[in-house]
Amino acid sequence: MTDGPRFAHASEAELARILDFYEVRWEYEPRTFPILWNTDGQVVESFSPDFYLPELDLYLELTTLRQSLVRKKNRKLRRLRESYPMLHVKLFYARDFRALLLKYGRLDAAPWLIGTDGQVGPDRPIEPSLDPVPVALAHPAA
Amino acid sequence: MTRTPDHAQDVAEILIPEPVLQAKVAELGARLSVDYAGQPVTLVSVLKGSLPFMADLMRAMTIPLTIDLMEVSSYGGAVTETSGLVRILKDLSKTIEGKDVLIVEDIIDTGLTLNYLVRYLRGKSPASLRICTLLDKPARRLVEIDIDYRGFTIPDRFVVGYGLDYGEFYRNLPYIGVLKPEVYGAA
Repeated sequence: MTDGPRFAHASEAELARILDFYEVRWEYEPRTFPILWNTDGQVVESFSPDFYLPELDLYLELTTLRQSLVRKKNRKLRRLRESYPMLHVKLFYARDFRALLLKYGRLDAAPWLIGTDGQVGPDRPIEPSLDPVPVALAHPAA
Repeated sequence: MTRTPDHAQDVAEILIPEPVLQAKVAELGARLSVDYAGQPVTLVSVLKGSLPFMADLMRAMTIPLTIDLMEVSSYGGAVTETSGLVRILKDLSKTIEGKDVLIVEDIIDTGLTLNYLVRYLRGKSPASLRICTLLDKPARRLVEIDIDYRGFTIPDRFVVGYGLDYGEFYRNLPYIGVLKPEVYGAA
């Protein structure tokens, strides 16, 4: 699964690796949900959550941008929940992702996995695997 | 972790003092003794963090029981692992087929490891499988899991002590404490 999609952000690739590790099936941006229509009924805004975990029937949206920049995403998520109340969606903020990295002893990878530094572009392809980092297990059983 | 841990300096505050912790363990033990009365239960603890909780909980239970231990690898980045999947570092020593099993956890946060473990143990056909955790940190949950017995629901803080570690240290603290962010480099 990890070889398939082209992730837009390094943090998404890392989350996919974590899900793979724990054998949680995922799909990357499998669905786009219209969330705003004009008076003619045409879709003017839509939202594609980053991950869908089919076994858990859960959509995950990962946003590792600074907290001050996530207002737009929060608004879109609110619309998504209003339009599709039966949908299970979880928003994963930068602080949540940092906590995940800390838990797995990978906090030193945070600078290039979080925020604009982790964005992937033509001149900055995603790394297939990151440099080895000493593992300091925090809560391995959780 | 390169610096030498200092228990007195590194803990910002005591979240759950030892007497409160012990009272809760006694309460859980009493409840489990009632719920599993007449049906010997196997407690399965996940190394290493659950060890103190397991040791105290089993002694707080007054019914016949057996114990077993498991250890699973934790995610540490793709290239540090020989394979990209969870590995069972220590498996159960006896079969649990047809037995009533209680997973004893120190903390549940993302639920990823426990989700894996539940699927793994269900595959061994126990008569029943329930979950008992000392600490529940729901703010970090990725995978929703039904918890049958819960000691404390805690806020989203980095906690150590009573089995919980940072860099393998602090497990021997008799209480649950909040680690100062500067200790793990998040300040």
